[in-house]
Amino acid sequence: MTCADFQRVLPYIIETGGKAEEERHLRECPICSDLVQDLRYIAEQAKLLVPMEDPSPRVWNGIKGSLEREGMIKPARARGRLLGPIPWMAALGAMILVSFGAFLVERGRQQQPGAQLDEQPPVVRAVSLNTIATEQDDEQLLQHVAAARPASSRAYESNLKQVNASIAEAKKTLQQDPDDGDARQSLHRAYGQKAMIYEMATRSLP
Amino acid sequence: MIQQKKTIASGLSEAEAIERAKQGDAEAFEGLYVLHKRRVYSLCLRMTGNTAEAEDLTQEAFLQLYRKIASFRGESAFSTWLHRLAVNVVLMRLRKKGLPQVSLEETLEPQQEDGPRKDIGTRDNVLAGSIDRINLERAIERLPPGYRMAFVLHDIEGYEHNEIAEMLGCSIGNSKSQLHKARMKLRDLLKTSRAEKAVQR
Repeated sequence: MTCADFQRVLPYIIETGGKAEEERHLRECPICSDLVQDLRYIAEQAKLLVPMEDPSPRVWNGIKGSLEREGMIKPARARGRLLGPIPWMAALGAMILVSFGAFLVERGRQQQPGAQLDEQPPVVRAVSLNTIATEQDDEQLLQHVAAARPASSRAYESNLKQVNASIAEAKKTLQQDPDDGDARQSLHRAYGQKAMIYEMATRSLP
Repeated sequence: MIQQKKTIASGLSEAEAIERAKQGDAEAFEGLYVLHKRRVYSLCLRMTGNTAEAEDLTQEAFLQLYRKIASFRGESAFSTWLHRLAVNVVLMRLRKKGLPQVSLEETLEPQQEDGPRKDIGTRDNVLAGSIDRINLERAIERLPPGYRMAFVLHDIEGYEHNEIAEMLGCSIGNSKSQLHKARMKLRDLLKTSRAEKAVQR
């Protein structure tokens, strides 16, 4: 059996295994063996891809608007308050976005390819990613949630953990390659998500 | 079927929220949206590769959910049911638009890549250990639409070939073939990206 023969049937046997002849070729041919190893590795890695992004708030606004227009739900009563009794959460949520925006602007001005995040001048460090919503802030948020809505505590904890992991991963990629636009976008999105978690807490806690 | 007990921000369990949403409770429905929006949006985004389109489809999927939730009987997990609904919304939209990404002929017909590969007899370093999430996501975005659909549905979302064949209106063999081509293309893209990075360093 040649490599071409093997690779022609590969799509149909990769998951189930092939006939004895095909299995023998796979054992003996390093090229086809490498190929199968790669394809299986890609499939394994794909299974680990978890949903990372939330849709923008306008999606929910659109859904709500459509349902209201169709008369399926009544228009929501206007909320009497914006910040509620724990304004620091809303403030911090907003700060996350504003600070990250400032960070992006400053990074754009600096235009220093190859510069590491930790080597930024003080003006940038002041709004650097490490100073936005610290672990302590997260803990404080979780404590508030646990006290007011214990049932939601685990969901908030898991969401924060996930978004913090995304931030860490994107930051790591950016440290290796500061010009990586995709990583920068991922980081931006992750901070947006984090801000939304704080915003949700602000709105849903009594 | 045993369902994992999920809790939504309002303190309701998922099952309670579903029951209330069936009665038209908008807050319970919003809770279901909060719980599932990320997964539905990611699915739409990965299948279309377009943020605006994905947001629009997410909106459409949840509107359909609101209209159809009364028909959810709990025969499968709610997330599975919702997911299938979302996939159908995406496929329906793509077919309606008649854009290249919906053309099953384009995606399912044999292409040049069906033939023996040029590098069939060469050996390169294996990928193991060299893929990170960002690179893989980026490579998936660059897949031709038909390949991307088969890959997203099978390898990311976990659908079986018979389910994909039914959804896409093709044979199981075609689904397997599309998936294989998608993985091969991804392998090329990932190796190219790795080589480019190595040159830059």
